[in-house]
Amino acid sequence: MDMKSIMNDAKSQGSIYFPMFFPKPAPKFVSESGNAVYGIVAEFSETPKVFRAAKKVRDAGYSKWDVHTPFPIHDMEEAMGIKTTKLPLMAGGAAIVGVGIAILLQWGTTDWLYPTLVQGKPFDAWQPFVPIMFELGILLTAFMCIFGMLALNGLPRFHHPLFSHERFYRVGNDRFFIAIEAIDPNFDPIKTKKLLEEAGGTDITLIEDVD
Amino acid sequence: MSQIAANKPAPDITGMQEADWQARLDKIASDPRMNEDNTTISAASVRKAAMLMLIIGAVGILVTLIGAVSINFRHALGAFEVGVFTALAISLGSLFWILVFHSLNASWPITLRRQFENIASTIWVPVIMIVIVALIEVTQGGVLLTWLDRSGGYNHLLDVKAPYLNAPFFMVRILIYAMIWIGISHILLKWSRKSDETGDRTLGRKARFLSGAGIPLFALSTAFASFDFLMSLDYRFFSTMWGVYYFASCGLASLSAVAIVATLLRKAGKLDGLVTEEHFHDLGKLIFAFVVFWAYISFSQYFLIWYSNIPEETMWYISRQQHGWQWLFVTMTIGHFALPFLLLIWRKTKRTTMLLCGMGIYLLVMVVLDMVWIIRPMVYLNTTATDPGLAGIWLDIAGVVGVLGIFGGVVALKIPKSPLLPLKDPMLHECLHHKNYV
Repeated sequence: MDMKSIMNDAKSQGSIYFPMFFPKPAPKFVSESGNAVYGIVAEFSETPKVFRAAKKVRDAGYSKWDVHTPFPIHDMEEAMGIKTTKLPLMAGGAAIVGVGIAILLQWGTTDWLYPTLVQGKPFDAWQPFVPIMFELGILLTAFMCIFGMLALNGLPRFHHPLFSHERFYRVGNDRFFIAIEAIDPNFDPIKTKKLLEEAGGTDITLIEDVD
Repeated sequence: MSQIAANKPAPDITGMQEADWQARLDKIASDPRMNEDNTTISAASVRKAAMLMLIIGAVGILVTLIGAVSINFRHALGAFEVGVFTALAISLGSLFWILVFHSLNASWPITLRRQFENIASTIWVPVIMIVIVALIEVTQGGVLLTWLDRSGGYNHLLDVKAPYLNAPFFMVRILIYAMIWIGISHILLKWSRKSDETGDRTLGRKARFLSGAGIPLFALSTAFASFDFLMSLDYRFFSTMWGVYYFASCGLASLSAVAIVATLLRKAGKLDGLVTEEHFHDLGKLIFAFVVFWAYISFSQYFLIWYSNIPEETMWYISRQQHGWQWLFVTMTIGHFALPFLLLIWRKTKRTTMLLCGMGIYLLVMVVLDMVWIIRPMVYLNTTATDPGLAGIWLDIAGVVGVLGIFGGVVALKIPKSPLLPLKDPMLHECLHHKNYV
């Protein structure tokens, strides 16, 4: 995890929320009708099939891809090769910041800048600061968990290119999909299609990214 | 409709057909991890360790007895009580976890549950010890429990509290606690062992029913026992959080002890594939939760007393913060909360067997120090005797090691008496495939 990949991640997440500030790069692949290619989607009818296919796609070295299912499938994160999230570290950082703000806010105002006598207790008594330290730590951690989670998975969003695919709506009912994005460095329109065919996918379709 | 009813016998109270249950038992029995070598440990392989612990315990008790005669009787009794209430916390906490596991129908801890049951049903060791302590207190007219001594003339506070704080009722209460603790833990162990042999699936349902009734009994008996022996060390003091404060130590100490026992069994080559890093992960999560719970409870108790500043409450803390015990306050804040919090928050600590075992040993030491914090400052308070210094520290260590050595030895002798996990538990099939998802 180097600085460059972090910047790239931030850029791709930022372009979801603020598309006006992030000019779209020229598409790597263009369809016959002249639109940018989002990726290739394949359809599966059964859980074991999509599970085995996900392992195949993982072993082929793809990184920008996803499996869409009507319900959670155990061990899918292993089959997809998903790494542990950065969210706990972010939440831990937020907790430290929250506790730090609480210490500065209380100690700074009641002992350092404007010493205030409350109930005859010492100015620098640490005991009354603890509940606020606890609460602010919890508050910022909870905020980071919610908003960090949303930022990492790119939700909420107004539109997704996969919704232009009519059959994809069955993902809420009885079908499983694997979508490989064109921005993946390994993406190749012919090889990727062949991989999904070998993995047992049906109705393999090229998805266009139409603004 | 009537045809179906005629073909299939009605399910019993567990809602299961006999044939389905047999199929499930056959599937569990055919699991390669459930072979006899993996699920049982021979008595010969633990005898050496058990004897070593019992000898260390006996030497510790002997040194405590010598200290009682040659150094200070109050001090020796205090050191003994520190050990007794740590051992009691370990087995009471185990009893609590069995009750919770049964009443929630929990499936993940089933492969660990037999160790909880072994430790909980060893509760007769600390119970005998608290009976000895109570007999000494009553016959000597109050050694550490100064409210038993009514020779000082008129005392209005003691007169008001006399309906509760009197010697006969004190002894009756201890008998009630002993009956509740020994009774529930032995019935649950008996049913658990019986289901190993008979495969009776209704026993799990019966254990769940008993656990539902057992939880309030456990809560009341634990809280009142901690009032009787620990809070009444200073009869003027009272805290409504006291029962929860001792219970937090119970939960933490028992989880730490089970983490150690499970690690030792894994090191002996037992329970391979049955107690995995997934089970240790969940055990570690509970240990982490109880580290935070202990800190939350003990700080809340301290914070309210500090803020309201009422003399009859604050003197409990003043006697511990102004008589050479300040170091323990700092040690408990950092060592019992901040350090284990930062260490246990990492996923790796909870999932690595040896690291969690190390945390278990460390946290047991912290529970002992918590008991020292409760009991030891009272020994030399308002007496003419002086603290003997280094000899007193050796006496403290001897008392704690003596009690915990005997307790550990009895637990070790108990472990090989039954299989290392409930072999035919109704929920075992779920536990065998337990996994924490990211």
